[in-house]
Amino acid sequence: MIEAFFTGLGMAMRVDTFIMVSIGLFSGMLIGALPGFTTLMAMAILLPVSFFLEPIVGIPFLLGIYKGGIFGGSIPAILVSMPGTGAAIATTFDGYKLTQKGQSRKALDMALFSSIFGDTSSDIFTLLMIFPIALIVMQFGPPELAAILFLSLVIIAATAGRNPLKGLLMMAIGLWFSMIGTDPIGGVERFTFGIFELKSGIPLLPMLIGVFALPEIVSVFGDRSSHLRGAAKVLGERLKLAEFKQSFRTICRSTMIGTGIGVIPGLGQVVAAMMGYTAARNASPTPEKFGKGELEGVAAAEAANNAVNGPTMVPLLTLGIPGDNVTAILLGAFIAQGLRPGPELFESQGSVVFAILIVMVLANILFLAIGYLSIPFFARIVTIKSSLLIPMVIMFAVAGSYVFRSDVFDILMLAFFGILGVIARAARFDVMPLVMGFILGEPLEYAFGQTMAMADGNFLTFALTERHGMLAILIATPLIGYWLWRRMNKASKPSPVDQLS
Amino acid sequence: MSKMNVLKSVLLSAALSLGLTGGLSAADYPEKPLTLVIPLGAGGSHDLNARVFTSVIPQYIKQAMIVQLSPGASGQKGTNEVAKADADGYTLLFSHNYIDQLQQHVESLPYDPLKDFVTVARINYAPIAIVVRGDSPYKTADDLFKAAKADPGKVRMAHSGNWGALFVPAAQLMQANDLNFNLVPYKGGGPAMQALLSGDADMTMGFPSTLSSLLASGDVRVLATAGDERIYPDVPSFSELGVGGDVGFMHRVVLAPKDIPQDRLDMLRDAFAKLNDDKTYKRLMSRLGENIDYMSGDDYEKLRADQAEAYKTLVNKITGG
Repeated sequence: MIEAFFTGLGMAMRVDTFIMVSIGLFSGMLIGALPGFTTLMAMAILLPVSFFLEPIVGIPFLLGIYKGGIFGGSIPAILVSMPGTGAAIATTFDGYKLTQKGQSRKALDMALFSSIFGDTSSDIFTLLMIFPIALIVMQFGPPELAAILFLSLVIIAATAGRNPLKGLLMMAIGLWFSMIGTDPIGGVERFTFGIFELKSGIPLLPMLIGVFALPEIVSVFGDRSSHLRGAAKVLGERLKLAEFKQSFRTICRSTMIGTGIGVIPGLGQVVAAMMGYTAARNASPTPEKFGKGELEGVAAAEAANNAVNGPTMVPLLTLGIPGDNVTAILLGAFIAQGLRPGPELFESQGSVVFAILIVMVLANILFLAIGYLSIPFFARIVTIKSSLLIPMVIMFAVAGSYVFRSDVFDILMLAFFGILGVIARAARFDVMPLVMGFILGEPLEYAFGQTMAMADGNFLTFALTERHGMLAILIATPLIGYWLWRRMNKASKPSPVDQLS
Repeated sequence: MSKMNVLKSVLLSAALSLGLTGGLSAADYPEKPLTLVIPLGAGGSHDLNARVFTSVIPQYIKQAMIVQLSPGASGQKGTNEVAKADADGYTLLFSHNYIDQLQQHVESLPYDPLKDFVTVARINYAPIAIVVRGDSPYKTADDLFKAAKADPGKVRMAHSGNWGALFVPAAQLMQANDLNFNLVPYKGGGPAMQALLSGDADMTMGFPSTLSSLLASGDVRVLATAGDERIYPDVPSFSELGVGGDVGFMHRVVLAPKDIPQDRLDMLRDAFAKLNDDKTYKRLMSRLGENIDYMSGDDYEKLRADQAEAYKTLVNKITGG
């Protein structure tokens, strides 16, 4: 195994590999920054390019797109409050507030550095611990996943804001939205009102753009001092080393949370970013600053969502099983090269696998350089005259919603969620629990259904005899929720200012 | 002269505009890129197969073929898009037999598969295999069937979704042998295989092309494979177990809206037939581990009609108790 590692190290040191990684990183960043174009789409479209390249060139190219794309999604989240992916939701909370304060450049730098720190640490961890991780992955089945998803919802509800009832109500609405469409297990239509377009459920992207970005646009017309009107048309300074150091504890914590979540199949970046953010706010001596333009908030979300990347590769490389769509495309790239990932590949061509893992780590250095150089270019967006910027943002909102599934119906959805977002803001309801309820509702329902199918009508016996892990999480859930809620209440008492503004 | 030219161009444009619906079209078709709708998600076997043939077929149709993934509602979303698209030969569907012919018996669809679609070509097919863990107590398919019969619901079978490519063969086996597996759904074949390996499930199904590495390492064993002939020398085929016919095959097919002009359909069918002799296509497909068992559109149409009947019987038996 050591020998394979060093052979792999030698194979990884190729100029053309790093050129293709750079191209991948840059195009990933550009595509990720365009609302509506997902990293997944970019990888699927550019997959055939890798068919005609050597494995050690083609697969790193796709990895570059993946890494660049996830960071790219945080660019519109920070600049115009438009999360391009679910993973960037937590980034909008503080990132956009920083832009409004004229510190967009600082926020983008922080996003880049914490993303790369999270990514690199989790990649190195994966490289060193690949076999232990593979064993841990096997401990998580649908019952454990269902319990963890439920725990995540409880944590989000307990920490959502000063008024837990409002948060719970929004989450319930979000959960209900997630049930609209075809029941994921039985295949029965629910709440579709006979509309065919609703049969495949509510699309995520129009919801995200609708509730997060449209209220910002609408507020421009009501508020003359708004950022988009031109109050803060400055790029601001770059990030200072001292500021990075200040957030370093948070970045490390988020990296650990993200890596841990990456090990559990089926959770992913959205949950990681939310949990990283929640943990940072919970640990902070000044939690009231979160959501108002706290650099640490950006760092917490971004380090966590990128730290997921490393461990998600483990089931693919050790068993040949893709855990999500991104790894499914990577699997395609491997097999098109005649390499079928799995236990046998590690035996026969371990050096190739190590070479790819090593490039994954080294690509982060390129990522740092390319990201740092291109941030000034992206940040310039905020200096565009508002008479041009506002129509542009509206155009991207509409086009982004449409392009995702090429369905005109999704523009109606965008309008619906935009109105919902505006009403929620006026009534001082936070939309975050709604979105999280929507995103986590479907996998929770699915995992719950799977658990029930596995138990075959005998849930209690099943839990007591076979699934002690699930039982432990279920018992711990109310305790953790109560503890967090108490902490939140204590922390928030001294400041009487409402958290929603 | 100039009058003649004007007259010519007027006539020509008139002919062209008529040509969009009439018989003159073959020479001009295709004049813009074609769209291939896949009603399934990114990274699946349909996506991969399509990436391969759409990167080779432009040589034969002289236009690009653009893949558009349109997953949702168990494949109905993408299928409906093509059903409602203009039947001008610019929008095609890349689907499989379960979405195409089985779903109509399970749900009410906004389209009628046999009336709304016609086959361009069957690209290839994949036979399914019954898979258990390497250390499983079930050594043969017979052991497995006996256990499931003795204690219905005892054997947990992980599949990739109701009425999907792993569920249907299992249902067909259950029906033929009068037994019951405890069917647990997963989001795709990958997670189902992971459930088998982690011990959450006792059996699953898988395509031999995806199993090679796990078979070689001894992590899984194959108990039977679909079809009349054996794929592995020491593993029985479904026919030997008494389940013959078109059971456990996933046919990957390119379909077009039924009203497509005949000359355009012929042109497309011809192009897909030519793919079979293309070296790049063969090389890339064999790397994917997929076969190149092309079947002409006409031949597959007969198979489709049979499938519609067979699936109807199956669904009635399974859901009727």
